[in-house]
Amino acid sequence: MRHLLGYAIRRFGWMLLTLWIVYTVSFVLMRSVPGNPFSSERTVPPAIERQLRARYNLDAPPIRQYFDYAIGIVTRGDLGWCLRLEDYSVNQVLAEGFPVSASLAIFGLVFAIALGIPAGVISAVRRGSLADLSMMTAAVLGIAVPNFVLASIVILLFVFMLPLFPAAGWGTLAQIVLPAFCLGAPVAAYIARLTRAGMLEVLSREHVRTAYAKGLSNRAVILKHVLPGAMLPVVSYLGPATAGVLTGSLVLEKIFAIPGMGSHFINAALQRDYTLAMGMVLTYTVLLFLMNSIVDISYAVIDPRVKLQ
Amino acid sequence: MTEPNPSAPLLSVRDLHVSFQTDDGLIEAVRGVSFDLARGETLGIVGESGSGKSVTNLALMGVIPTPPGRIDQGKANFDGHDLLAMSQSRLMAIRGRRIGMIFQDPMTALNPLMTIGQQLTEVTRRHLGLSPTAADRRAAEMLEMVGISSPGERLGDYPHEFSGGMRQRVMIAMALSCEPDILIADEPTTALDVTIQAQILELLAELQQRRGTSIILVTHDLGVVAGVCDRVLVMYAGRVVEQATVGDLFAAHRHPYTLGLLQSLPRLDRDQSTRLDAIAGQPPDMARIPSGCSFRPRCPVAMERCETDSPPLRELGPGHASACWHDDAAAAKRAAANADSPSEADR
Ligand SMILES: Nc1ncnc2c1ncn2[C@@H]1O[C@H](COP(=O)(O)OP(=O)(O)OP(=O)(O)O)[C@@H](O)[C@H]1O
Ligand SMILES: [Mg+2]
Repeated sequence: MRHLLGYAIRRFGWMLLTLWIVYTVSFVLMRSVPGNPFSSERTVPPAIERQLRARYNLDAPPIRQYFDYAIGIVTRGDLGWCLRLEDYSVNQVLAEGFPVSASLAIFGLVFAIALGIPAGVISAVRRGSLADLSMMTAAVLGIAVPNFVLASIVILLFVFMLPLFPAAGWGTLAQIVLPAFCLGAPVAAYIARLTRAGMLEVLSREHVRTAYAKGLSNRAVILKHVLPGAMLPVVSYLGPATAGVLTGSLVLEKIFAIPGMGSHFINAALQRDYTLAMGMVLTYTVLLFLMNSIVDISYAVIDPRVKLQ
Repeated sequence: MTEPNPSAPLLSVRDLHVSFQTDDGLIEAVRGVSFDLARGETLGIVGESGSGKSVTNLALMGVIPTPPGRIDQGKANFDGHDLLAMSQSRLMAIRGRRIGMIFQDPMTALNPLMTIGQQLTEVTRRHLGLSPTAADRRAAEMLEMVGISSPGERLGDYPHEFSGGMRQRVMIAMALSCEPDILIADEPTTALDVTIQAQILELLAELQQRRGTSIILVTHDLGVVAGVCDRVLVMYAGRVVEQATVGDLFAAHRHPYTLGLLQSLPRLDRDQSTRLDAIAGQPPDMARIPSGCSFRPRCPVAMERCETDSPPLRELGPGHASACWHDDAAAAKRAAANADSPSEADR
């Protein structure tokens, strides 16, 4: 437990440092690309633009802006007003959209784990069987087919041909099924392959022979002596998988008309919405950091030889 | 140690054949091994690396990896039932309960992700139906018996927190925790240093006396054989080439390979035991076993017949058999003469 506390404190320190770096890099990058929030289709009269700049603190020297904005974030948790969404603060946008995107991502991941692990286990245990072949073929397809193509296919199949699910929208469980499936499918496929490879690897270890020689049932050997070791590569993969699911959801939200962060992300970048873009970048950084910490801790829980760094 | 009871062997292995399909072709690792094991007896199995000692025992435990391995033929009668033909569920009830096995390499034979306590209690909970607390108590008792100090606290430790010798003790505790009728110990001491070797052998001998366990002891070390075994099988290239009581093995061995093994035994004035590597030439490539007698290419007394015909294991006297065409009196005398003076031979 003391390990864990020390680890949490160290990780937190690293996270703050990372956030600071991400903040700085984003700040510099956003301001160094050509254009600004007010240089779009409509030209704003100079007087009004001056007023706007003053309102958003954009007339201050950049170094000033850099610190003012940072201080607002640190002391008040205030990410400022959106530059391109009238009367919306970044915090409001995040509060509305982020839970939606996060639940979609969680559903996608849970689905991927729930499907990928059993498929990998069965494939490994029945290696070379029809079940193994068909599941591994499905896994190759799952990895190869882009999620927007998969989305078109499942919409065609389960909305139009076999109307089981609604085509779009958000709020009911039925509406989550298809996008979560499309989001989770490539991850499930990858997890299935990692699980299968991990199982086969552990199955060839000598301690598994010991387990059989103790008179344990096949089931007990597989579940207690093989599966945990086979999960190590899967656990490692969950960090990158989370990142994948989060970006994947940006596309799928568009297809399934889900009011998450997806459209904001794209708009914020295209329209130079400095504050909204910064808010999202920082939020996703925290999220990935948390996920990777959970991955590290799970890894150390499964494998006692690993010490948390 | 205890006298063998030849009338009712506890385990009777007949004509065991095991092969592996490898990239090199088919490897016949065990080619017709037969032996009996009496109650309370310690049977040694010796032979160079690759001679099929481990595979023989793994086959008895039903843990040959399949594929690439396969038991092609054979019977292993244990208490009236054939281990090699019984259902998986029956075999499960015997493994770990009535036949315990200590594996060759203690560093890899334990599960690195489970505590020693979990691994020990698993056996007794399954076979003896112990409650979790009773199983913990039993596990601590077993650890204490194999000489691990403060056993109660160590139950929560993982294998990597134990040294090689300690892991081997844990393996022994595990194999013995249901008081099996047969203990198969595959080189239980090879990985360990000499003092720990001695302690572990002593431990096995003591347990055997207390419980009347039969032991199959695989070893490279003829010194160990002399110390603890009642009878010995000498294996070469997947076959038993000589089978004898320990007395006969040292005093009246008949096979040239056995003689070679004995001559490579370290001398008494050197206290270190070394691996048996002093016979000229290499053990055969198991994918290309020579025709006729498989020892022929290395045999100092090979004759024409040895190239074409494989010598069967022939009974020479009570409890003594050898597989050599040379089992005429002259060869026996020559072998005996050579064996009497191995310690003075090269000084
Ligand atoms: N899993 C396997 N796959 C392929 N070949 C194998 C396998 N296990 C054993 N063999 C082969 O079977 C033969 C006998 O091996 P075995 O392990 O029984 O030897 P051993 O007498 O126990 O040797 P050592 O003293 O080194 O332990 C060897 O030629 C080995 O290469
Ligand atoms: Mg071996």
